Amino acid sequence: MAPDHNDLLQGTLELLVLKTLSLGAMHGWGIGQRVDQLSNDVFHVHQGSLYPALQRMLRKGWIRAEWRASENNRRARYYVLTPAGARQLATETSLWHRVSGAVNGILQVQLADGDA
Amino acid sequence: VNPLPDVIERLKALLFRDRQERELEEELRFHIARETEARASSGSVDARREALATFGGVERVKDEVRAARGVLPWEELVADTRYALRSLRRNAGFTLTVVAVLGTGLGAATTVFTAVNRVLLTGLPYRDPDQLVRIYQKNSPTNLWSLCVVDVQAIAEQQRSFVAFGAARYGSASLSGIATPERVAVGRLTSGFFRALGVSASHGRLIEPGDDRPGAPAVVVVSHRLAERVMGGAAAAVGRAVTIDGVSHEVIGVLEPGIGELAGMEAEAWPSLRIETPTRRGPFGLRGIARLKPGVTLAQATRDLASVSERIFPIWAAGFPDATSRLTPVPLRDAVIGGANRQVGMFAGAVGLVLLLAVANVATLMLVRTSAREHELSVRSALGAGRHRLARLIVTEGMVLTGLGGLLGVGIAALSLQVVGLVAPNLPRLAEVALDLGSLTFAALAALVAGVLISLAPVSSVLASASKVGSSSLVASPARSGTGRRANHIRGALVTAEFALALPLVVGAGLLLNSFLRLQRVDPGFDPQGVYSLALSLPSSRYGDDATVQRFWRLAEMRAADISGVTAAGLSGSIPPDNGGDVNNFDLLDKPVPAGTSQPVTPWSAVTEGYFRALGIPVLEGRLFTAADSGSSPPVVVVSRAWAARYYPETSAVGRELRSGGCTTCPPTTVVGVVGNVPYLGLATGAEGVYAPLAQEGGQSLHLVVRSRLGPLATFRALRSAIASLDPELAPIEVDMTDHLHRALGDPRRWTAVVGAFAAAGVSLAALGIFGLLSYVVRQRRRELGVRLALGASPRALTRLVVRRGMRYALLGTLIGLGLSGFESRWLGSVLFGVEATDPITLVIAVAVLLAVAVVACWVPGLRAARLKPLEVMASD
Repeated sequence: MAPDHNDLLQGTLELLVLKTLSLGAMHGWGIGQRVDQLSNDVFHVHQGSLYPALQRMLRKGWIRAEWRASENNRRARYYVLTPAGARQLATETSLWHRVSGAVNGILQVQLADGDA
Repeated sequence: VNPLPDVIERLKALLFRDRQERELEEELRFHIARETEARASSGSVDARREALATFGGVERVKDEVRAARGVLPWEELVADTRYALRSLRRNAGFTLTVVAVLGTGLGAATTVFTAVNRVLLTGLPYRDPDQLVRIYQKNSPTNLWSLCVVDVQAIAEQQRSFVAFGAARYGSASLSGIATPERVAVGRLTSGFFRALGVSASHGRLIEPGDDRPGAPAVVVVSHRLAERVMGGAAAAVGRAVTIDGVSHEVIGVLEPGIGELAGMEAEAWPSLRIETPTRRGPFGLRGIARLKPGVTLAQATRDLASVSERIFPIWAAGFPDATSRLTPVPLRDAVIGGANRQVGMFAGAVGLVLLLAVANVATLMLVRTSAREHELSVRSALGAGRHRLARLIVTEGMVLTGLGGLLGVGIAALSLQVVGLVAPNLPRLAEVALDLGSLTFAALAALVAGVLISLAPVSSVLASASKVGSSSLVASPARSGTGRRANHIRGALVTAEFALALPLVVGAGLLLNSFLRLQRVDPGFDPQGVYSLALSLPSSRYGDDATVQRFWRLAEMRAADISGVTAAGLSGSIPPDNGGDVNNFDLLDKPVPAGTSQPVTPWSAVTEGYFRALGIPVLEGRLFTAADSGSSPPVVVVSRAWAARYYPETSAVGRELRSGGCTTCPPTTVVGVVGNVPYLGLATGAEGVYAPLAQEGGQSLHLVVRSRLGPLATFRALRSAIASLDPELAPIEVDMTDHLHRALGDPRRWTAVVGAFAAAGVSLAALGIFGLLSYVVRQRRRELGVRLALGASPRALTRLVVRRGMRYALLGTLIGLGLSGFESRWLGSVLFGVEATDPITLVIAVAVLLAVAVVACWVPGLRAARLKPLEVMASD
């Protein structure tokens, strides 16, 4: 991945993490698995990159961390969506819809032009 | 965005670093384990390796998470500081030297800054101090003098620029009606004075309009300290009566504690000044103080007072025919601080040079240290520290050093401010000076700048060599690497700069010393040994008429002369060398000044014949006063040789006639004698003077001067009892003329001492710098030097080689320093006596001293070079 795409990727990664956690608290590995599933491997990144992103999101107050027993009964660090995180997800989602809608519109116009 | 989670996470990262690290470790281990399990269960044979590969480098991820915590700069700062402290502790000698040098420099600078800040930069301690002015008479840009009653009345009635205007007469008075009579400083005031300054009373009231009318009851406001000291406290003081110069005054108020000085007058009692109807303009002894109306500028007030002058002065022209003078307001701050600017500028300049020298010196030490650590630094570089990280390490070390130096400096400043009064007691308001927030800020900023400055050279040398670091430097010995040569250039430049900075200090100290020695050689015109004086002031309440006054003085002189061991006794209105007393204007009958221009002025003393004998002033021509020169005989004067030489350079002054004090109708005064020169306006100001017989001139405040073989204690005891037998209420002041003459040289002596100390510090620093550089060079080039020795070079040739190299820097620096010294005339010109700021002899001597010190400082490393043992040198490499 080229460093230039970092910002775009990071924003997207955060959005995906928020979406994942909106379904329920999860540990790092689990989040990675779900992100992969949700994105159909389109955004496949090194799993390690998840952790700095989680640390940044902790500082933004979107998520918080707590130690719980995992699905196979081991101690694991779980991340939980905070109300601020939920609001952020809503904002990001609606923004995404507006932007992608607009972009789609533009692309369709061009397509129509191409057809004509 | 809510900043709280960010702050909390960062605090956690800083405070619970170890726990966070443990948790991170555990979290990542869990991840890898989970991924391994997942891959194993889906049939992978090498699940753990695959898991690690997908993860992308555990250590790298850890670093990224650490970075994401947002406290990396802090952690590195802490780590760097810890590292710097550790490494400085290992090099205790280096650290102590640097901290001592920096601490001394910063301490001296902080001391001077605090004094300057307090004395010059901080406003006066009054409400809206910029609105305050002092009013002078002025007839040329440099000739200003005080007001007379006419001026005060005219300003009070006609000015339109001030909300308040008051006048004060400053002097001393005997205070009685308390346990023991004593002499105190007093400022007699009109009511506007307190109002203009905006001062308030802690008890009772201040002087109000009505208190300063003629015939009003005498009242006095006293300082809190005086009330506490002799009146049983501020509350008890109000309403009681005290006697000031024989007149009973009611104490009406006590000033707020801490007010001891008002508008440049330090006094303990502030009696009301009752303005009587004037008969002529003069004498000029009143200080006019006023507060500008809001919105009125100084220029407007100047015009206002000028028009008052134009209306009033012609009316009184008969007694004071000066058509050019004008009443002029001057900002009170300038009036109070006045000449302090010069002294302070001189000290600030000197201390600035010393601080720069200290910084340059430490910078060379840092460079040497960096070169010595080149090996260590290149190892760190090879282990992955970027060159910026190395640079930061050095800067941190510099900052730690200057931080410690700054702490030491603040301590030194706190101590030296306690004794700063000894060094410069003539600065106004110096008593208020103490370490404050401003000084601490200054010390911190100065330390910060010094930290940057001392790190610059080593950082640039590290950055320059960073390209090579890790390869060549590791293998090559530092001595032969390019860094060494480059650093040597910087070191040479620094040493050159040190000499350039040191020379102006030496020149300044030399000029002050030269000037001081010249002042000391000024002939005071008399031998002060065994001459003692008692200052006496006769209160006009009990000595109302001239006959009583004259009778007292006659008796006092007789009683003093009768003391066995006293060889001569006399009376005088002024005593040399700087207690000028009266200054009078006069007009020579054979050379009158053109109408409308000001008459010449000269120190003017009322004396008895015995005064000349007591001081041993020789009669050069004509005669002294005799009993025949009485109040009823024609007026006569005796003049000094300098006076005679100025006004009658070609002919004799004896027999000439003049009129004094602006009087045009009085009988002319005849010059009957010429006596030896004695200065009355300071040693540096010449010795013109006129003496009038006491019987004709009169005077309420005189010095009883005796020449005695008894020594000071016995003489003063005998004199005091003689005076007490005449009037026990008088409070005389003792003056030992030897001390008095000595004190007159106090300021020049202190300036010479302080600047001399700074110069000595500067020269030592420069010498230390060049010594350090050459010692290092010799160590660095010992191989080459050893080879030369082995090939037959004489040890003396090697010494010469080293000395020549050092002297190149010293000479170049001294040359630049000569240029810098040119700026000194601005600071020093006005405090020098009898020597120009560009005095070539002083310059030559200063250069010679500095170069001589440089030669010695170069010689020692030179000798070391000569004593190298070729075999040992070869073996050590």
